[in-house]
Amino acid sequence: MKFKGKAWVAGDDIDTDQIYHGQYLPLTDPHEMAKHAMEYVPGMDNFPREAKKGDIVVAGKNFGTGSSREHAVLCLQYLGVSCVVAQSFSRIFFRNAVNLGYPVIECPGIAGRVKTGDVIEVDDESGLVTSVATGASVQGVPPSGLEKEIAGSGGLLEFLKKKSPEELAQL
Amino acid sequence: MTIIEKILSRSSGRKVSPNDRVWSKIDMAVIRDFGGPNVVIEYEKNFGSRPVWDPSKIALTFDYQAPAKVADVANNQRICRQFAKRQGIHRVFDVNSGIGQHVLLEHGLIHPGSVVVGTDSHMNLLGAVGCFATGVGTTDMVATWHSGKLWFRVPETIKVTFKGSYSFPTCSKDLTLHFISRIGPDAPNYKALEFYGHVMGEFQIHDALTLASLVTEINGKIGFVPPNEQIMAFLKSRIGHLPEVPVADQGAVYSDSMELDIQGLPPQVACPHTPFNVKPVTDVKGTHIDFAFIGSCTNGRFEDLALAAAVLKSAGKVHPAVQLIIVPATIEVARKCLKSGYYEIFLDAGAIVTNPGCSLCTIGHHGVLGKGDVLISSSNRNFLGKLGKGAEVYLASPATVAASAVKGEITDPGEFLR
Repeated sequence: MKFKGKAWVAGDDIDTDQIYHGQYLPLTDPHEMAKHAMEYVPGMDNFPREAKKGDIVVAGKNFGTGSSREHAVLCLQYLGVSCVVAQSFSRIFFRNAVNLGYPVIECPGIAGRVKTGDVIEVDDESGLVTSVATGASVQGVPPSGLEKEIAGSGGLLEFLKKKSPEELAQL
Repeated sequence: MTIIEKILSRSSGRKVSPNDRVWSKIDMAVIRDFGGPNVVIEYEKNFGSRPVWDPSKIALTFDYQAPAKVADVANNQRICRQFAKRQGIHRVFDVNSGIGQHVLLEHGLIHPGSVVVGTDSHMNLLGAVGCFATGVGTTDMVATWHSGKLWFRVPETIKVTFKGSYSFPTCSKDLTLHFISRIGPDAPNYKALEFYGHVMGEFQIHDALTLASLVTEINGKIGFVPPNEQIMAFLKSRIGHLPEVPVADQGAVYSDSMELDIQGLPPQVACPHTPFNVKPVTDVKGTHIDFAFIGSCTNGRFEDLALAAAVLKSAGKVHPAVQLIIVPATIEVARKCLKSGYYEIFLDAGAIVTNPGCSLCTIGHHGVLGKGDVLISSSNRNFLGKLGKGAEVYLASPATVAASAVKGEITDPGEFLR
């Protein structure tokens, strides 16, 4: 699938408390959760109010480090952010995204190539990230193998539900 | 094979190599009042009243906000308790118990070589006893309750060898902070670690837990501490027999090796706002503090609190402008502190001592920081804004925290203890 949208550029080592602060963990309403996405990222206070459906988060290295909270992926999904491109992901965020079928593209060469407000296109099949204005593109790495299969099923639960008890036993 | 390769080979029923994707049988799946309610809600949304795969392998531990202080959390805890009742899950460690991983360990429910998942990113501190434990999100936990299995990418392993040793008042927390600052968060991302060196032979269980807990902060999957006599004796006393602890083969293949000289290491402190911004205490000596916290899954065990008690006994009262909050990891730790006379020392010094739980570390309870407040903490994270917008957090050993609480500024515990 191809996603086209406005980029929001975040720095390195954005942790899960910056993406979704611990004080909001008791919330379960998607609309309320979306209101706090990226709220604690320095300089991105306006993100939850101004981000539009289809926008894309472009982050530096180690995005999503810290807590195992899935809220960090869900709040972006609920806000309508179509995908996250990062130089690298922290394992826990990456895993939760795959399990939820949420598109994440690792793109080591993305640093300094996109600025907030640029319109970019992300192909989650090929991993290509392209600037719509300049046409310049950077090759990223989409999930492959089992991760691709899980994400492609719509997430881990959908993946497992399609299995018969015999197939589950054989996993 | 490395330790993680051995554990994942056993749990997946086939010989694994790094980067293989495997489905592992899960030996224990733990939810907390933090993340747990979402698991229950999602489980029932997807599978209705269908029985979970094995109620004897599920545990509930309530440590985030214990007891609840807001209605949302009270409701969440109730959701978990009622689910346990409906599903015949008996291992419910309620709000009076303490921090989940420690409670399970004390109850002999954690076995070396087993695979444990929990809705807590610091589950992996159980690598201290050769268990592969990892923090997972809601979906992973629902999948586990349904199928009893979970997918993993077999991590490569980094071999870490500590050279030399340190002496009191330097302790395992100082070694840990020094180590994570040297290796950083990039190299260990999704890797297992194995720790070796003379100093590992001297580790007590609390030292091993401290070191293994901060593997989370460097994005490691798990860190294994080799079993020694003290750790084996602890395990035997809890499990009831001497368990077999997985060790690496002679010919195990490591993706990287690191040697770290720790000879004569002085006390360390992680400065705001990352756990990697580590300096010797003497470099930031005199920095003003408002709060001090001793507790958490990293440093809330009896021996950690004993260290704090020793400092306070020698150093005297907590500075009048400082709030020192002491939180035992579990009810067992609290009871031992009471018997050992530590509560009297803490209270005489002017500390605030609370019931067990995560407390200030999750700002679930007992102290939230205001704008401009400075905390020195024995916990594991000092991320920007985690404990309050505009606050600053330093991480250090229980000894350094206690010494700093007395002087009202960051202080080398060596000033009071040798």
